[in-house]
Amino acid sequence: MNVLYGLYRADEGEIRVGGEQVIFHSPKDAIEHGIGMVHQHFMLIPVMTVAENIVLGVEPSVHGVLLDYGTASSSVRKLADSFGFAVDTDALVQDITVGQQQRVEILKALYRKADILILDEPTAVLTPQEAGELFEILRSLTEEGLSIIFITHKLDEVLEIADRITVLRRGKLISTLPAKGATEESLARAMVGRDVLLEVEKAERAPGETLLQVDGLRVHDDRGVQKVRGVSLEVRAGEIVGIAGVDGNGQTELIDALTGLRRPDDGRIELGGHDVTHDSAREHFAAGIGHIPEDRQRRGLVLEFSIAENLALHEFRKPPASRLGWLFPRRLLERAGRLITEFDIRGGDPTTPAGSLSGGNQQKVILAREIDRDPRVLIAAQPTRGLDVGAIEFVHRRLVEERDRGRAILLVSLELDEILSLSDRILVLYEGEFVGEFPPTVTQQELGLAMTGGGQGEQAA
Amino acid sequence: MKRLPRGWRAIGWAGVVAGVIAAFVALPPISLRSPVPSVVIGLVALTVGIGSWIRGERRIGGYAIAAGVFGFALGYLATRSSLEHLEAAVVWGALFAAMLRYATPLVFASLGGLFSERSGVVNIGLEGMMLTGAFFAIWGADVTGTWTLGLAIGIASGGLMGLLHAFFSISLRADQIVGGTAINFLALGLTSYLFIKLYAREGTPTDLSTIPNISLDFLGNVPVVGNFLDDVFGNLNLMIWAGIALVGAVWVVVFKTPIGLRLRSVGEHPRAADTLGINVYLIRYGAVMLSGMLAAAGGAYLSLGFVTTFEKNMTAGRGFIALAALIFGNWRPVGAATACLLFGFSSALGKTLQEYSTSVSVLFEALPYVLTIIAVAGVIGRSIPPAAVGRPYTKQ
Amino acid sequence: MSESVRQLPEEPAPESVVARYGLLQRAGGILVPILTVVLAFLVGGIVILLTTGSVADTLETYREIFKGSGLSWFFDVGNNSIGIPFTDAHVWFPWDTNEAVSESAANLQQTLILWVPLVLTGLAVAFAFRCGLFNIGGQGQYLAGSIAAVLIATELPKAVALPSFVLIVVCVLGAMIAGAALAGIAGFLKGTVGAHEVITTIMLNWIVIWVGSYLFGVGGPFQTGASSALPSSEDISEKAALPVFWGDPFLQGLHIGFFIALAALVVYSLTLNRTTLGYEVRAVGHNPEGARYGGISVARNYFLAMAIAGLFAGLAGALDILGWQFRLDTTQLQGSQIGFIGIAVALLGRNTALGVGLAGLLFAALQTGTASRNLDPSVFNPELASSLAIIIQGLVVLFVGADVIILLALRRIRRTRARGATA
Repeated sequence: MNVLYGLYRADEGEIRVGGEQVIFHSPKDAIEHGIGMVHQHFMLIPVMTVAENIVLGVEPSVHGVLLDYGTASSSVRKLADSFGFAVDTDALVQDITVGQQQRVEILKALYRKADILILDEPTAVLTPQEAGELFEILRSLTEEGLSIIFITHKLDEVLEIADRITVLRRGKLISTLPAKGATEESLARAMVGRDVLLEVEKAERAPGETLLQVDGLRVHDDRGVQKVRGVSLEVRAGEIVGIAGVDGNGQTELIDALTGLRRPDDGRIELGGHDVTHDSAREHFAAGIGHIPEDRQRRGLVLEFSIAENLALHEFRKPPASRLGWLFPRRLLERAGRLITEFDIRGGDPTTPAGSLSGGNQQKVILAREIDRDPRVLIAAQPTRGLDVGAIEFVHRRLVEERDRGRAILLVSLELDEILSLSDRILVLYEGEFVGEFPPTVTQQELGLAMTGGGQGEQAA
Repeated sequence: MKRLPRGWRAIGWAGVVAGVIAAFVALPPISLRSPVPSVVIGLVALTVGIGSWIRGERRIGGYAIAAGVFGFALGYLATRSSLEHLEAAVVWGALFAAMLRYATPLVFASLGGLFSERSGVVNIGLEGMMLTGAFFAIWGADVTGTWTLGLAIGIASGGLMGLLHAFFSISLRADQIVGGTAINFLALGLTSYLFIKLYAREGTPTDLSTIPNISLDFLGNVPVVGNFLDDVFGNLNLMIWAGIALVGAVWVVVFKTPIGLRLRSVGEHPRAADTLGINVYLIRYGAVMLSGMLAAAGGAYLSLGFVTTFEKNMTAGRGFIALAALIFGNWRPVGAATACLLFGFSSALGKTLQEYSTSVSVLFEALPYVLTIIAVAGVIGRSIPPAAVGRPYTKQ
Repeated sequence: MSESVRQLPEEPAPESVVARYGLLQRAGGILVPILTVVLAFLVGGIVILLTTGSVADTLETYREIFKGSGLSWFFDVGNNSIGIPFTDAHVWFPWDTNEAVSESAANLQQTLILWVPLVLTGLAVAFAFRCGLFNIGGQGQYLAGSIAAVLIATELPKAVALPSFVLIVVCVLGAMIAGAALAGIAGFLKGTVGAHEVITTIMLNWIVIWVGSYLFGVGGPFQTGASSALPSSEDISEKAALPVFWGDPFLQGLHIGFFIALAALVVYSLTLNRTTLGYEVRAVGHNPEGARYGGISVARNYFLAMAIAGLFAGLAGALDILGWQFRLDTTQLQGSQIGFIGIAVALLGRNTALGVGLAGLLFAALQTGTASRNLDPSVFNPELASSLAIIIQGLVVLFVGADVIILLALRRIRRTRARGATA
């Protein structure tokens, strides 16, 4: 979609608008050809009014010098009315709701006479009611003759709004089907596909005591939106609990709360019997949690630090790494040497900067660092993102080993294969709540369905 | 803007006025000798300020608190000093005229900084740009014989400095603060170098064509306040009037024209502006060069209009005060200009007090900086810069 | 329900100043700084050329500056000996350090005297940089140290008689605390409310300058009545003066502050690389997010890094006062640029101890070499020379600011060449 709007350059292939082949060098070209886009992350200026945002770049003026705000405001309002939705043109964008902001984005495209409108995951930030209002607007737009491309992962929406459905997976077009005959199941099958499951040897193991207990957790994100809406779970020693879900449904905030990086609004977190709900990150670590963050470069490592220094991130304050504030680099190197061998970290010696390691080895460094502390609970977020097959295999094998050693492991991943092959129990997170618990024998289709809110019709909001 | 109860806002402003009155009653021409009125009114202002602050009107409340404390203190001090000293030092007419004179270089530089920062480029090189303008205006007037061309040359030199800063910050994407610091060094070195080379022996010519003052004799004829008006506005330099006009012009351009809208969009969210076809680089270049030109104009007034000579490092930190005024004024022209007036008043008061009080007047010079730290620390409401300021922009 | 949301969509995180210099540190080695300096001197040379009109004169000027800096003394190797302190023994030493001070030796002493505060203010900037903070407040922190040192050195002996050593130590400590407190304010504000340290430190600089001008200016509480043309503090007690170990004490010989500065370089390096504090500071400087995820308190480190930076700058102020200034007057307060040159030193020295030491030497040599009494007027007007020094300093800062780009460009060239080779 970014290629269609002129933000990225295509490597291959061609685009034709109205029968003519076009090449877009910038969004300006796309706009000139009648393509408008509503991004997932809005391109709006919070401190300016709705009217200002919409007319920016094509402002009406008095004698070419002064901004004719009155005309801008009224013409925008007229435009909105003609399509059947209302906006307060003089409100500041930062003061209006997200749903209204989205309407502003749509108006921006309409003001520039777009014939084709692309919407990227538009309902990700909307309440169900706002989503309904959006659909009304989209329907009236199509009645006016616009063409709309609607990108979403939510199957119920697709069926509600679309005339034709195209399924993409991993960058390839899988199929295009009319909406008439499709069902959630047929779509889920097309979306998820029949990939070969990576087999992991996993013996049955009876779980032990509960090491992580979460009750009624509510967490909001940086923008004040409630992302975790009442989550309860427990992870016991010797089991891997997998949390499946599409990105953006609260996983990040949940993990942040569990590791002490974010204060929950409500609820309780107990780690090995200790209440850590309001503790700092360091206190969480001290209470026995290990965390493999989902972004290993930005959050998991200090790339400019050596392997030894990265491995020491939790240990450097205590003997033998240091005493009374004085560091003993040799101890760090010794420890690093041991861990490098044990975890088969390749690409350098203890003094090599972490930034020069491959992704897989970087992940091994993080694993080594967290596991060596002998944590009671280990949280692994996207542990194999961006890794090659060999590294993936290593990580999976290691996680199972740790489970067998009696740790409680919480695995959060967007990869269904991984969840299915590693987990002893699977929970599905959708819009901040757990909508189902499944055994590892569940099919991908069932999981896919739950992850996309399918089968939710009967449930009250 | 959040619509808080109008009531507390108005009450807050009343507090500010009360604080000013508290000082005013002890000063000429009223010159009450008892400290009681000042203390009482000052306390009222203080209370009102605290009330507003608690009710959420932090900025106004803070101002009222500050005004209350200030009024209380000044009023009390005034009653402690002798009447003759007061009468001599606090000559309102002269004081306000001096305030305008001190404020004008700040106004030019501050408004220049406004353009740059509003477009997203940090410019702490205002000091250097001002100094450059100060020197080249003198040199230009000397070489061409007229102040008009001298002023033009001074402004152009500032524009070149601005171009340099723009090139390094925008095209080379160098760190903008380092660049600004370099500009300050270079300007100091260059102007000192050229000054010594050209004027060390005799100093700058004493018969230079300088920027003229504008005589408004008719002001004296205005009933009642005529004398006062004449004292303040009767004989101000052309640049001071230009500065006043500039504030209005900047306000119109930045908030009421399409180009101003685009300028602000580039500083708040350059990618959004880019997606709408706005040329981010061009606007930033223009804004930074303009900031150089305006800062240089301020410096030109300083050398060619105010003291009519040039000395090494004559701007002596005024560029930084202008930056402080910009921040304190929340990156708005009227706010920045008001801050410049405030700082100018503080300088003027400091100069007059110098003859009577002791060196305490020197402390007045520190006032702008203290106020700015408080503003930035968010005690009196947050000073919020343009969202994308300081970050180089890369088109994809 | 209305949600007031200030949505600024995610941009890729812009490179912090430290990240970019971290890049340089890893990759540039010593080549890029040298190139930067050469480039700055080239442009400076153009300025000289425009003034003198001949290339020969330009080169001569640079030669004179070099001689004036005293660095030429290092090239005068011979068979000399030097006495070991506290004993009567002598040992072979390649340079001549006897009492008959040559002109180049005197110049070198001046250079090294200037080197002391430059290195320390450079460390003040560098330490903050290592934590990701831009400390422009070195000037104010330096002056805070000077003020504290002067006050203690003049007032304390009046109250209680102390042996020289103790007095010096108290002065130095007081100065360091003053500098640390000042810088700590900026660090604290950054850590708690996120106030940008560039703005707060600039403001604090000027506050200190004016407070100092008040204290020691005409009519100020600590002004000595001596001369109102040049208002200044009293002279410090003789006991507080730092001993001179090379050169004539009455002609501003080199004081032991030199060794303190050397020690500071070592302390800087050790603190950053051998302490847990240094570990945290560096982690926050490289990657605040990653440090936070690892349980490190970013705000606490911001405060500590600034405070320690202030310690170094305050120390510089004390050493200058106790070493050769002996009093503080208002022209020093308002005219000093030491703290700002310290920024150039840190940038050029890539925030490492060795780099800061060498960069400090360069700038000190430049300053001394262009001081009016050293230059032969027929070659180059000495008054112009000090301005020339400032121009070259500015050019260095300018080019340092931009040379990250040069480095990145070099890398890209190397990478495309490599890719071309493997294609």
